[in-house]
Amino acid sequence: MLLRLAVAGVLLSLPGGQSLSAQIGSLDAPTPKPKSFVLYAAEQQTVTAGKRSVLELHFRVVDGFHVNSHTPKSELLIPTQMNLQPTAGVKAEALEYPAGTSYSFSFDPAEKLDVYSGAFTVKLAVVAEAGTHTVDGTLRYQACDHAACYPPKSLPVQVIFMAK
Amino acid sequence: MLSVKRNGLVFGVMVVGIALLLWAGWHNLRERRLAMQRAQENHVVLVPEKAGVALATDPQSPEAEASQMRGKVAPPFTLVTLDGKKVSLSDYKGHPVLVNFWATWCGPCKVEMPWFEEFNKQYAAQGLVILGLADDVDAGKDAIAKVATKTGVTYPILLTDGKVQKAYGGTEGMDYLPMSFYVDRNGVVVEETAGLGSKDQIEAHIKKAIASGAQPTSGGQ
Repeated sequence: MLLRLAVAGVLLSLPGGQSLSAQIGSLDAPTPKPKSFVLYAAEQQTVTAGKRSVLELHFRVVDGFHVNSHTPKSELLIPTQMNLQPTAGVKAEALEYPAGTSYSFSFDPAEKLDVYSGAFTVKLAVVAEAGTHTVDGTLRYQACDHAACYPPKSLPVQVIFMAK
Repeated sequence: MLSVKRNGLVFGVMVVGIALLLWAGWHNLRERRLAMQRAQENHVVLVPEKAGVALATDPQSPEAEASQMRGKVAPPFTLVTLDGKKVSLSDYKGHPVLVNFWATWCGPCKVEMPWFEEFNKQYAAQGLVILGLADDVDAGKDAIAKVATKTGVTYPILLTDGKVQKAYGGTEGMDYLPMSFYVDRNGVVVEETAGLGSKDQIEAHIKKAIASGAQPTSGGQ
């Protein structure tokens, strides 16, 4: 299988290892911040032309971070959400998000969150004409680590597949 | 005759032994010289950090960001509260001020806000002022007010304008939340924290801001 690793976010090199939590004055220093908290691995997939098929979009949350699931437990939290551009020859149907896992900050164990961490897969049902297709989209998410939260980000995503 | 042969053998062994010792000494010396040479090539001069300069090389690291404002004059701002009242940092000249950036989507922020409220009352007699700057104005006033109510906050909640985030957080604004700046009576940032601090640490920073009368240094506004 042809694996085309389209890592949309490039990890920033970690700083030189100085332990400065005392200088920061936090419970623990926030985890060194990568440029993207979620990575996308685009795997070229093949579906049957003209028939409803399901594509898998594989993501990975960078170690040490988590993002809200598609259905966070508070309306104030920002859900992880895929937005896809219309593509000629492709009828995108439903997006299916995985269930999140329960998470709570150590400093607030009573508050339960619903998050993705590590690998997670979003499924996209399509009906496509024969040929190679590229569906462009973005994954919007909001990440936190154990002590801090980061502004919402949008990760560009290209779903490449062949229908035959 | 036998004795002469034995003496010759002993002499030979001694010569070989001495030769081995000399070779080992020379080899050892050569290795040490090579090691010294390698050490010289990898020599790094360690220069002590100057006060107020971030230790981390990455300017976006939490460590670097948490010390960018320390020792500088707090950038001035004028923002509006949830009910439309204008509030300026300069309104509190002569007061120690805690400037806290937060957002409705930030869990750690909501943990420390009730602590701030508690300290706001506890240190009011010493002139402490706490200003909560909502970083996510796009969430809407209702959502911001809802969090303020839920966390029991009565100190002013100000709506950020995009400029104040850059003034305190750099060109990209606030990279993460919560971010807090402890400003002393002279308007100087005496402490800066990134991420959630423990309640004790927050109180220590507040006490430092109250006690501090340090003169401003260059670099701020």
